[in-house]
Amino acid sequence: MKKTILIKPNTPAKEIVSQVRSAEGVFITSTGMRDAGQSDFKNRHRIHDLLLLAPFYNNMGLFSSECHGGARWHVGVMNRKEDPFEEIDMLRELMPNVLLQTLIRETNLFGYRPYPKNVIEHVVSRVDIDVWRCFSFLNDVRNMRTVAEAVMKRGRLFEPAISFTQADWTTNSYYLGLVQEMVSLCGGTDEIILCIKDMAGVGSPSRISSLVDAIKQKYPEILVQYHRHSTDGLAMPALLAAAKSGAKILDAQEDTFTRFYGQAPVLGLIAYLEESGITVNIDKDYVDASVQKVREWISQYEWAESPFKGYDYNVTKHRMPGGAFPSSFEQAEQGGFLHLMPAILTVMSLYNRIVKYFDVTPGSQITWVTCSGIVNRYDKERGKAGVRHIIELLTKFVEEKAQRIDKMDKSEQEELKMLFRNAPGDFKNLIMGGYGKLPMGWPDEWVYESAFGDEWKEKIKERKDESPLESVPHDDLSALRSEFADLIGRSPSDEEFILYLMHPKDAVELLAFREKYGDAPLHLPTNVWREGLNNPGDKVEFELWGKPYCIELVSKGAEHEGLIHVVMKVNNKTRVYTVETPRARKAEIRMAKAASDIGAPINGSVWRIGNPERGALKAGDIVHKGEEIANLEAMKMENAIAAPFDGQIVEVCVKLNDTVQEGQLLFVIEKV
Amino acid sequence: MEKEIKKILIANRGVPAVRIMHTCRDLMIPTTAVYSTPDRLAQHVLMADTAVHIGEAPPVESYLNMDKLIDAAICTGSDAVHPGWGFLAENHLFAQKVIDAGLTWIGPSPKVIEMMGDKIRAKQIAKKAHIPTVPGIDNVQNADDILKWMKKDDVSFPIMLKASAGGGGKGMVKVEKADHLSQAFAQTQSEAKKAFGDSTILAEKYIERGRHIEVQVVADTYGNVIHLFERECTLQRRNQKIIEEAPSPTLDSGLRQEICFTAVRLMREIGYSTAGTVEFIFDINTRKFYFLEVNTRLQVEHGITELMTGLDIVSIMIDVARGKVLPFEQDQIVPNRWALEVRLNAEDPKNFSPSFGTITRMQIPDGPGVRIANGVYEGADIPPYYDSLFMLLMTAGPDREDAIKTMDRALSKNLRVEGVKTLAPLLLSIIRHPLFISGDFSTRFIEEHMAELISMFKEKNSEDEALKIARYVAEISALGPQKWM
Repeated sequence: MKKTILIKPNTPAKEIVSQVRSAEGVFITSTGMRDAGQSDFKNRHRIHDLLLLAPFYNNMGLFSSECHGGARWHVGVMNRKEDPFEEIDMLRELMPNVLLQTLIRETNLFGYRPYPKNVIEHVVSRVDIDVWRCFSFLNDVRNMRTVAEAVMKRGRLFEPAISFTQADWTTNSYYLGLVQEMVSLCGGTDEIILCIKDMAGVGSPSRISSLVDAIKQKYPEILVQYHRHSTDGLAMPALLAAAKSGAKILDAQEDTFTRFYGQAPVLGLIAYLEESGITVNIDKDYVDASVQKVREWISQYEWAESPFKGYDYNVTKHRMPGGAFPSSFEQAEQGGFLHLMPAILTVMSLYNRIVKYFDVTPGSQITWVTCSGIVNRYDKERGKAGVRHIIELLTKFVEEKAQRIDKMDKSEQEELKMLFRNAPGDFKNLIMGGYGKLPMGWPDEWVYESAFGDEWKEKIKERKDESPLESVPHDDLSALRSEFADLIGRSPSDEEFILYLMHPKDAVELLAFREKYGDAPLHLPTNVWREGLNNPGDKVEFELWGKPYCIELVSKGAEHEGLIHVVMKVNNKTRVYTVETPRARKAEIRMAKAASDIGAPINGSVWRIGNPERGALKAGDIVHKGEEIANLEAMKMENAIAAPFDGQIVEVCVKLNDTVQEGQLLFVIEKV
Repeated sequence: MEKEIKKILIANRGVPAVRIMHTCRDLMIPTTAVYSTPDRLAQHVLMADTAVHIGEAPPVESYLNMDKLIDAAICTGSDAVHPGWGFLAENHLFAQKVIDAGLTWIGPSPKVIEMMGDKIRAKQIAKKAHIPTVPGIDNVQNADDILKWMKKDDVSFPIMLKASAGGGGKGMVKVEKADHLSQAFAQTQSEAKKAFGDSTILAEKYIERGRHIEVQVVADTYGNVIHLFERECTLQRRNQKIIEEAPSPTLDSGLRQEICFTAVRLMREIGYSTAGTVEFIFDINTRKFYFLEVNTRLQVEHGITELMTGLDIVSIMIDVARGKVLPFEQDQIVPNRWALEVRLNAEDPKNFSPSFGTITRMQIPDGPGVRIANGVYEGADIPPYYDSLFMLLMTAGPDREDAIKTMDRALSKNLRVEGVKTLAPLLLSIIRHPLFISGDFSTRFIEEHMAELISMFKEKNSEDEALKIARYVAEISALGPQKWM
């Protein structure tokens, strides 16, 4: 049997490309550690479980493991409470033979706003990833320049992706234009891989075959990777078609991960390719072992699966990407408008033809928020009839009148010109050029009138044609770093700072969580992570820093006055934990917030309000800067509180002998 | 004349009460504890043979309430009173009342307490005995007096304002410049009034980078005065000691002899009996020491002297109160160890803000060379009304380096306190600081190095980390899956 080729990290980009080029057949990128979870399990797959696959991946002969980026980064920080940097470290240790791959947005990186050049350079040069798949939801190749340069400068492999959809305007020549821009951005085809990113899963086999063929004819040496979701049910034939036309790398995932919106099942795909005469560089025993391993734990994630089950051929119309599809259903369910989903998807398919770009992050979010907002507004104001009405109106406008607004009735024109008035800021930023240029040019003028009202003409004048890389001013990194340090009360590591650059609020929360709960997200098995221990005698065992630990539940009390007592044995020592329930009666403690609020500098008791000269102070009294207005005693030490400015007391918020905590509001003083 | 002590009431709480009870147990003398309402289940109460409730939380209603304390002694059949430290330990009126009630006062005579309790008078007496004193002015009426004196004696800022009746760091305010003088004066007066019931103030030159060195003295009622060598108590925060050691790393043997015999001379001069301490400030630049005050009581840090000399000072106090003669002479006191003490206060180590509450978990250091003086137990409350000190950690070794190593072990590997914040991280940072290790520090060391000391806090251990995970498991077990998941 032929030996499987292992492509190892630290191989120069050029050598990786030539190795793949010269090898027979195709390679597989496993999306098991990223997109599989994103598409069907809301990115909840924990590194604790994914690590179990790493030893198999290490010998499997994958082209790469996509284990990083996309929304996995943010969901890690926000929900799984994992740090993307520690994930890389753990994977590197367990699978040193495998190229680690990320998915990155050109100017939004792992966040959502367009970042300035200096932030992009800072981040890309500090994340230890081998293969950088980079896409633009506008297919604005100009936006990729900074990431491309930073990756290639490090000698890592850059993989520019064309965002693919199937529409009348996305022709081969349109895509060839993009490929040409990418090739010239990257100085040829020898150090890159070109990705066709079919993120919704809409490319028909013949369409894909034709596109790959067209690219390979123009650039015979270029390596093409086809990334495709399964949503329309046609993934396998489309992948085979791509391979037959010359794609060298295909994305697949463990069959046991496969639901509806992720990638194709890997064992099935291999069999299908081989039967068609295409060899696959992979060791099937390891693939099989990995597929079986998933079975051991995947049932723990049923709660994370989409409420919307089954393939959806209608994706070819609404084009919502695999990653965003389940999460929009989840949002609809939480927002109580799941019943409006069919209408929203219909409106999305019409909207797609009015404002043309690709529904992938952050575009998919803009589309979703804009369209679900429109449908919800009509539903709220006019009920079911309203929802029907807006669909009819848009259908008439798009399909019958070919988007000629002047052909619509006067009242319909007025209504369309209000359509985007409440659209989210991101939508407005998009049509103002904040993300780059739209692939088919700017939308019609009425869209601006609709979004901006009377100011629309000025807004069109302000619209930017340059890439955000040129227009977004540099961030002051050292100022941001010290702002972050202030928030967490210590100086952050380089990695923590990058988390903050991407998602400031969530990064601060993650650090607070980890400060409080340590490495719980890394060491607890998923059932305990999610549900804790339920019955007396249930226990969880783990190793921490090379030492064994055991936590065993002894008993769980009933809720009483907002508290539950949990008795556990931690390494045989009994401990009682008092847990506050959300219903815990919390004494309303007002904290000093505004500049006029005078807070307690320490915990203590208020033994004097006022000062010896004037006696007690009350609301209405005038105080002078530096004058003592109260005195706190703590452990027998006095602490004078001085008025920070001249002012009049609006409110005395504590009583004599009150015990106050640090930061608690003592006075409200109005400046005079 | 020897007299019998059948039962001792300890007019105190927490660490001092527990410490004294240990010796009483050694001597087979039963004890009576007193307690305020929040201290009903405190460690000293559980440890005593009998316990009496003496009032509500505020000290004036309980631990400072002389009549109730004396009543408690009488009704429990206690025939002696030990005041511990703090509260009424240096109150001559209380000492007198105890004696007048026919009870034995375990401490110096009310006369000596009164004499030394007045800082102005103490200084005058020291001067008269040709003991060097810090330049200063007594009995200040207002801020102007201070300015006049500073001009006349050519003294420059900073200066120190002190309550004449003070001690233990309370009622002491350092003034950096003239602008701050009047507010500081008012604050000192008020604190003095509150803490000691007397608002008389004195002002002194502040000796920059001074070292705080004190000599432990024991004396009987027959005129025998012996010193138990010195302690170095330079490391302070807000004028309260937090780390002490014996002997002092600052003194050479010549200076040691001189300072110890100076202390003995003063104590003999004033007719001192029982245990007491003479405090000096040592100017590192001129290598001169100045008399500060006499503490007419058992001190917090007496334990390190005990470790260094092998003696039990509380036991000596009880024996002296029984009318016994000191059973040893000066040349029999042979220190042979280096001892170190840190004060575990319930405070935020970053800003010293008090942290009261329930001690949910407590693991006490052990292993060779460790002594603990503890005022609490696991599950006990630290109420907000009293001193934040709840445990003393002492270590001893053949030399300073060994004592520090053992303290490092005790603080970093053995000790665990949960439920309240403690100074432990700060104390550990200090004893690991190169300047502490080399003995090069002043009373301002902590304020000058605070940021650096805080930056040394972050040391994790697997036990702490495992407990964080356990806390998570407990919460999720109680509350079920969370929205944010």
